[in-house]
Amino acid sequence: MIELIVVLGTIGLFILFTKLYQRFPHPLMIPLVTTTIVSAVSLLVFNIPYSTYMVGGEWLQKMLGPAVVALAYPLYNQRAIIMKYKVSILSGIILAMVIGLVTIFVMLKWIGVKESWMLTALPKSLTTPVGMQVSETIGGIPPLTAVFVMIAGFVGAIIGPFVLKYGKIDSAVSRGVAVGSASHGVGLVKLREYGEQELSVGSLSMGLTAIIGAFLCPLFVYLFL
Amino acid sequence: MNENFTMILMRVVRIIVQIGILNIFYYIGVGIVSYLHIPLPGSVIGLLLLALLLNFKLMKVEYIQDGAGFLIGVLTLFFIPATVGIIDYPELMSTTGLLIILAVIASTLIAIYVTGILTQLIEKREVAKKEQAVTIEEGKGELSVD
Repeated sequence: MIELIVVLGTIGLFILFTKLYQRFPHPLMIPLVTTTIVSAVSLLVFNIPYSTYMVGGEWLQKMLGPAVVALAYPLYNQRAIIMKYKVSILSGIILAMVIGLVTIFVMLKWIGVKESWMLTALPKSLTTPVGMQVSETIGGIPPLTAVFVMIAGFVGAIIGPFVLKYGKIDSAVSRGVAVGSASHGVGLVKLREYGEQELSVGSLSMGLTAIIGAFLCPLFVYLFL
Repeated sequence: MNENFTMILMRVVRIIVQIGILNIFYYIGVGIVSYLHIPLPGSVIGLLLLALLLNFKLMKVEYIQDGAGFLIGVLTLFFIPATVGIIDYPELMSTTGLLIILAVIASTLIAIYVTGILTQLIEKREVAKKEQAVTIEEGKGELSVD
């Protein structure tokens, strides 16, 4: 019963907020933000634990598997542009990974957080399942890593477009690499609005960042912590 | 039964079947990951596998395009359960928690900005190099000024 309420309720809210976003296309109105806030607030108000909600939430989360596989489709459609810009894309992805790791490391060192929080935050730019696995490998707290991963994603989806605009980052390749490798799948949700080229470069960046990050994150910890 | 309805029904069935095919790739990916013990999600392996099959024409894109298009269209929906998980971490509302969140935000913004700018520069050089290669091939290389 609870499964059905959660699944139908979330789909209902999602449809409602998608319609609302079409009428008021403000960055803070993206359905991911509005649906999440309303769901989270409802759980808190009605005192429903997250684990109860996840009995149904898991149904939706399970669809993330085939949905990630589905990204092979835009990738295939845009294979010409990817092959053409392979050097830029690959170097951009490695740059993003290194910049992300170094900046978060320096800032958290400066703030002076305990090591477990540091290890929890380092994999923030990797897509959720990989980020959580890497977090576990290096000694972080995986569910909390998922939260940081989501924040990194939100930043890409909400503030990302402003950064691209003011940085005059206007090619499909650079947009896709920047947002895809720093903000993974949640960032892709926004890249979709730019076009299929951005989306496909972004999904390639997300995938390669996950693969490269799975090796680079533990190496970084080994070298610097 | 009117024709329009039949078409919609056919499309719905096609989408469902194609999502089934994508799911098969997902489970193959999960199988490979657990068999080889690689620390990567099965979905990413499934994505790479499907992309390879499509690229080498071992699978027709028609078999997945409607299902894939549909799933990508509603991608947001599948992230919501994970993001709602934030409510389980009230300690994020402490001073340290908020500072870490700010650091994550700043780090992500810097990564997007610097990566975007640098990638754009590398991209321009990559394109220029290719164009130069083409000009030289055509025997016009000696005419270029820069």
